[in-house]
Amino acid sequence: MSNKKEGGPELIVSRQILSIAQRFSTGPVMGRFLRELRDNKRIMANKCPKCGRHQLPPREVCALCSVEATEWEELGPEGAIRDYDIVYYSSPDPLTGETRETPYVLCWAQLDRTQGDAPLWHLLNAPDLSKVRRGLRVRVVFSEERDGTMGDIKYFEIIE
Amino acid sequence: MKKKNRNVAIIGSGMSKFSSHREEVNQPELIHEAVVEALEDAHLTMDDVDCVLHGNMELFEMVHQPDMWHVLGTGAWGKPGVRLTTGGTTGATLACAADNLVASGLHDVVLAIGFEKLEEGHATGGITNMADPLWGRSLQTGALTGTAAQKLIEQFGEERAKNAAIKMRIIMDEHAMRNEKAHRRLRLDRKYMKQIATQTPPLVGELRMIHMCSQSDGACAVIFASEDKVAQLGANPAWVVDHETVHREETLIFNSGKSTHRVAAERLYARNGITDPIHQIDVFEMYDPSAWWGVDWLGDFLLCESDEHVKMVENDQIAIEGEFPLNPSGGVQASNPIGATALVRVAEAAMQVVARRANTRCRVM
Amino acid sequence: MSGETEYAYVVEGKMALPYQYFAGAVGSKFLIALRDEKRILGVRCPKCETTFVPPRQTCERCFSDLTSHWVDVGSSGEITGYTVINYKEPYQPKEPPYVLALIKLDGADTPFAHILNCADGAQPAIGMRVRAVFSKEPKDNILAISHFELEP
Repeated sequence: MSNKKEGGPELIVSRQILSIAQRFSTGPVMGRFLRELRDNKRIMANKCPKCGRHQLPPREVCALCSVEATEWEELGPEGAIRDYDIVYYSSPDPLTGETRETPYVLCWAQLDRTQGDAPLWHLLNAPDLSKVRRGLRVRVVFSEERDGTMGDIKYFEIIE
Repeated sequence: MKKKNRNVAIIGSGMSKFSSHREEVNQPELIHEAVVEALEDAHLTMDDVDCVLHGNMELFEMVHQPDMWHVLGTGAWGKPGVRLTTGGTTGATLACAADNLVASGLHDVVLAIGFEKLEEGHATGGITNMADPLWGRSLQTGALTGTAAQKLIEQFGEERAKNAAIKMRIIMDEHAMRNEKAHRRLRLDRKYMKQIATQTPPLVGELRMIHMCSQSDGACAVIFASEDKVAQLGANPAWVVDHETVHREETLIFNSGKSTHRVAAERLYARNGITDPIHQIDVFEMYDPSAWWGVDWLGDFLLCESDEHVKMVENDQIAIEGEFPLNPSGGVQASNPIGATALVRVAEAAMQVVARRANTRCRVM
Repeated sequence: MSGETEYAYVVEGKMALPYQYFAGAVGSKFLIALRDEKRILGVRCPKCETTFVPPRQTCERCFSDLTSHWVDVGSSGEITGYTVINYKEPYQPKEPPYVLALIKLDGADTPFAHILNCADGAQPAIGMRVRAVFSKEPKDNILAISHFELEP
């Protein structure tokens, strides 16, 4: 492809889309979290035996205490918005290459029974953007078809 | 950090012109502009350089092993070298690594090169890959978020926070207007402060296009030398006294009471006898990816406890003529070739220290 | 190791992002001469007495500016190395098996890689003479040379 500019010399540009197949190993900890979403529609977090903090996403070791987090507990599915982003800028989802439709709302919701700060991050279904605020009560809605990915959560919905 | 083995100075720097469009040069040619200028500035040739560090963002130009492609422009042919890629901090990591390499005695003269040709890739798409593919990658929108704005609005009220962000943006643009190499030189007018924000498209929440840093093509090269070499060359040094880095776990953003910026500043000040940063520091170079972050992070870096940083913006203290000049080149909001950006901060600080601004390269007039 | 490895599984994914690459003024001149005139250009460093093909703006060794030191090189040359590609993946320029050869053109000091077509089971060897076959359609990249073939 060439970039011929008015009056200037022709300059060559190559335009490409890089698209590479990838495989992601869940490992046992994230694997358990995602299987619980898929099979039981449950949000499971693991818990640090030392500080009692829940971890979302669950990780093998407490990120603060560096001890193994072996206990699991169910959180939510209701909670409250801790932070949110109303996104107007349309960008590609690098997992699919597809550009997202805007505007959409993302939120970090602290699920009920969570110890420490471990909000769950997902889309918020908010037909009325002006209603979105911190502290708003929300509930996790699961997808009908689930494949063991974060897409098994469809979005948060606002509890009226 | 323990004591340095030997002292390290910056003895030269160079930058390409920063712009959204550099179709007339390929990647190594762009880098070459900065390298040649740095060598001239230090009165050296590549024969004097012992090691070349190369840094840029992963996934931005979609080129594998860019340090090898770029040897055509970097001068690294046959020389030892390392490629560094640590996201937006790449440029600062280059400076830290060069400092370490010289301080340790491994090399006498190190050339650090930061580069980005953002026009060639998709910065937001690339940054989105920082998110865990099993957790939030489908949700992340690169580095764009409105949460910094939300935080400031909650802290200081909507009107005051919005005014402070746009005021900082205007001051940065006024600085960029005095720097011929800056990318965005918009001639923003203080009279239209209220309109400027709302007339640009919203990106995320209260973060609008005008607040966000630019997407620039550009390169920066900085030459670090040992104390002995400085004496031997009769160079005009800017001494690198100390540096500090702080890591966090990516998914732990909500857990730390203090930002990594604040922790780094606390450690650095404690080691170097800085008890009153606002009065002890003459000029401040900060990575300010947006006007919102700029205001917020200024408070972190200066260890503010209430609204001192907001006042500094409101009172023009951060302007070039103010008592605490911030980013006299226009900073990141004006020019952001990401892999070079943090190194530009170091280069600008060094130039200020050696007080060469009056007679070189129309940098700051 | 906490846990139960039976929970682990693999998620299929991909990474898909747009990008572009600018050849720059020097690279564009080379590609345009290939495309429009079927001419292969190089640059000669007067100091290092080296002719680079493809051309570059700067001699990477002595930093001389080479933008005004263009030379025409021949479209024939010799093989300085080669390899046979037998595996298949989606990013290849053609169906395997095929030969990629390093070719030093007459008048050039640096070889570059290209596809070598060997007719009727002929075996490539280092030192063999080859010539460029230009693409029939105009192309803005090195495939403006379709491939090289062994000289008879």
